[in-house]
Amino acid sequence: MEKDTKDILSELQTGDYKYGFVTDIETETIGRGLSEDVIRLISEKKGEPEWMLERRLKAYRHWLTLEHPNWAHLDIPEIDFQDVIYYAAPKQKKQLNSMDEVDPELKRTFDKLGIPLEEQMALAGVAVDAVMDSVSVKTTFRDTLAEKGIIFCSISEAIKEHPELIKKYLGSVVPYTDNFYAALNAAVFSDGSFCYIPKGVRCPMELSTYFRINAEGTGQFERTLIVADEGSYVSYLEGCTAPRRDENQLHAAVVEIVVEKDADVKYSTVQNWYPGDKDGKGGIYNFVTKRGICREGAHLSWTQVETGSAITWKYPSCVLQGDNSSGEFYSVAMTNNFQQADTGTKMIHIGKNTRSRIVSKGISAGRSQNAYRGLVRVAKGADNARNYSQCDSLLIGDKCGAHTFPVIDSYNPSAVLEHEATTSKISEDQLFYCNQRGISTEDAVGLIVNGYAREVLAKLPMEFAVEAQKLLSLSLEGSVG
Amino acid sequence: MLKVENLHASIGDKQILKGINLTVKAGEVHAIMGPNGSGKSTLASVLAGSEKFTVTEGSVEFEGENLLDLNIEERSRKGLFLGFQYPVEIPGVTMANFMKLAVNEQRKSRGLEPLTAGEYLRMMKEKSAIVELDSKLTARAVNEGFSGGEKKKNEIFQMAMLEPKLAILDETDSGLDIDALRIVATGVTRLKTPENATVVITHYQRLLDYIVPDYVHVLYKGRIIYTGDKSLALKLEKEGYDWLINDYKEE
Amino acid sequence: MVVNDLVTTMSAQGLPASGRVGSGAWALAEGVGGDIVVEAGAVARLLVTDSEGAVDINIDMERGSRLDLLHVVNHHSATSMAVALAEGCECRMTQVVVSPSDTRVVASLMERGARFELGGVFVLTDEDQASITADVNHVASDCTSRTRVKGVASGKSHGSFSGLVYVAPDAQRTDSEQSSRNITIGEAHIETLPQLEIYADDVKCSHGATVGQMDSDAILYMRQRGLSLADAKRLQIDGFVQDVVLHSAIEGVEETLSALLDEKLNRL
Repeated sequence: MEKDTKDILSELQTGDYKYGFVTDIETETIGRGLSEDVIRLISEKKGEPEWMLERRLKAYRHWLTLEHPNWAHLDIPEIDFQDVIYYAAPKQKKQLNSMDEVDPELKRTFDKLGIPLEEQMALAGVAVDAVMDSVSVKTTFRDTLAEKGIIFCSISEAIKEHPELIKKYLGSVVPYTDNFYAALNAAVFSDGSFCYIPKGVRCPMELSTYFRINAEGTGQFERTLIVADEGSYVSYLEGCTAPRRDENQLHAAVVEIVVEKDADVKYSTVQNWYPGDKDGKGGIYNFVTKRGICREGAHLSWTQVETGSAITWKYPSCVLQGDNSSGEFYSVAMTNNFQQADTGTKMIHIGKNTRSRIVSKGISAGRSQNAYRGLVRVAKGADNARNYSQCDSLLIGDKCGAHTFPVIDSYNPSAVLEHEATTSKISEDQLFYCNQRGISTEDAVGLIVNGYAREVLAKLPMEFAVEAQKLLSLSLEGSVG
Repeated sequence: MLKVENLHASIGDKQILKGINLTVKAGEVHAIMGPNGSGKSTLASVLAGSEKFTVTEGSVEFEGENLLDLNIEERSRKGLFLGFQYPVEIPGVTMANFMKLAVNEQRKSRGLEPLTAGEYLRMMKEKSAIVELDSKLTARAVNEGFSGGEKKKNEIFQMAMLEPKLAILDETDSGLDIDALRIVATGVTRLKTPENATVVITHYQRLLDYIVPDYVHVLYKGRIIYTGDKSLALKLEKEGYDWLINDYKEE
Repeated sequence: MVVNDLVTTMSAQGLPASGRVGSGAWALAEGVGGDIVVEAGAVARLLVTDSEGAVDINIDMERGSRLDLLHVVNHHSATSMAVALAEGCECRMTQVVVSPSDTRVVASLMERGARFELGGVFVLTDEDQASITADVNHVASDCTSRTRVKGVASGKSHGSFSGLVYVAPDAQRTDSEQSSRNITIGEAHIETLPQLEIYADDVKCSHGATVGQMDSDAILYMRQRGLSLADAKRLQIDGFVQDVVLHSAIEGVEETLSALLDEKLNRL
């Protein structure tokens, strides 16, 4: 930990969005725009069965009837959905059989991103599915996982090889009718990860997906489906980066998690899409729907560190359907410059004795706008539901905004629900104290911000926590006058 | 080591220091006493470089350099330590990480390599023993949830870690019970060497039983109006400040 | 009846509709809206009562004035109140809601040094539906606001609170607290939206919201000392709503307000 503090410091001096490079790799794309023909083409390219195409078209037709949502505390420029490329894939000539056959340029990209795609993974104990633009490039460790009966592959493969699971679960938590971007994703999703943990299996390693937008003008619409069968456990990590480009790029993902009876899923995200430059030019529009359903006695924990994207619209949620199930949401959302974030969670208590906990830490700097939006709902039959929410905001500078929009909605008199929120800034006294001990103001701000977010960072798996700490300090660059 | 000449400082329109003269040499212990509101804490803050105050006149030389040209952290790295009267809480930042950064920043400014994790841990252990600081406290957030006594011990622990040339202790004895006072004062005494110097700001003589000052100054209305030896503190304890202040008024 | 009692207790002069008020006690005619100006430096007390239907009331507080406002809602009504506070003004508003209704308050702290305090309570039974909305706009710097609304809902009633504290970009040193506390009994539905929208950094803003039941430990304790379950519960609810009654700085009105609440609480 100490070593990293120092790294952060040196990077702070020179720090910039270090994932902004473009990989020079041949990409196969289709033309811009969206129509039924484009959807047929995507489905065809992926060699999908007819039923999948039908699902896509149904979603598309529904999407056409929808209007862009505008209820969030966001200023979203009009998006021309006909100006987006809906499919881009690194060209590869034939089916890959071993790691050696992966395009060396692509491997270098993932190396730069710090994703170990090779055997060193064994040491790190992480199995990675890397999604570059729209296609899942390589899934490591499949064989090790297969021994336990765990399926971890790209969603396209799963559609072909595990149609019964996909038919049963895909769209069962986030149906295409859920919202505008869920409908769009259901129509055009090109790849993503699928994971199935069989009954009673404890996944021996952390599973990880790394998302990368590389090609220009493309949107990325990945779809992740995790099914944890009865009594199983998995910890899943998701990371995201994109090259620096002047135009805005669209990212509209859907993550669905099914947590069966007594199963336990931990889903961690470090979201670092390109946020745009200091004048607010460029950056990713990140419109994500993430939701999990918990059956009896199940537990789902979301942890997210959001530092990237020009616009973030994201509410990882838990539907606590089964009795005695529980959900958690731990979030750090940092915005700087002209970034906008409207993020939070929904905890829907349906089963009896359900518990949920929300810890949200917003940090606003520069001219950014950062909003927490949350819903805690207790249905009629959810006897003895409990929720505790803590939503804090930290403001750095006087040009930014910090907002809190919680909704607490209880239909059951036995519910006990608590929400607390505070707004603070870094005090002059704290800075003076740090300065007096020889710590520069910039370092002190990094230290204080990481301390403020500690409760959430502590929930991340170790290697992610270190990266997240660095990101928080880096994202603050230029925010201290 | 420290030479303060005709120092004037204000906050907003309000003049608080009105011409302080003070010379501190290596190996010396100075005590600054005086009634509430006389400017004792302001003097400490101004020497540390607090931006709340504006120096309007005068000069401060520290180790041959113009102290007023340096910012707060530069002064610290040069060896000036302020023990705060009210140490601030910094939620979530552990003492261990905080001090590690501070120690290594100081080392960096002196052209030294950062300490390895092992060296640092040994140092923490050794230094926390000086003030009988519970080693568990270093795993907690800076001053968060510390009792009054723990906060003050923690200040002296940090002083031990940073090994300052000049330590200014602002009412380190306030709010301490007799045991904590003894521990804090013994800690300060053990850190005393012929090369460093200590300025103790206090209301009470009782601290000076442990930390024996070479000089006792009385600060009143922004000026040092009287300087004596350790017997002055005893006299002040017994007779209060009135006799001095009355003298001063007559002047 | 309630209105007459209050008017008498406050020795309030009738205020037919729009107009300027100086120091003294005033009662706005039941169910009547209008524009009221509180004169600079005045110390005024104002009673607002409703009748069935909708009304809008605008109150302009001139520099340095103080207003203690008591708002009693015991009809099926919709009241919308806007208060604008100039420099150094202080407005203390007490709202007691015991019938299905929709009550909205918008307080705007237009100049520095103003202070707005709202203490509100709704008690709902049977199939009542009521909402209290309180938006506080900190337009100027150095202003203070306190919004504290309590709700008790029983039967199949539905109570909602929506509060917004808005802090404008230059409204530095804003000090604001907002709280929404609720007790549900039976099949009641409670919804609360305590919101903050902050565009200045040197601020002290907090909010809290709770939805829960009565404290079972306290009830056990009281029963152990010989109180009946019903008495223990009632005592606790009384305690819960009592501080809103005490919130009003208008002398002598506690009794009437307590009686009004009692009557409603008896039907829980």
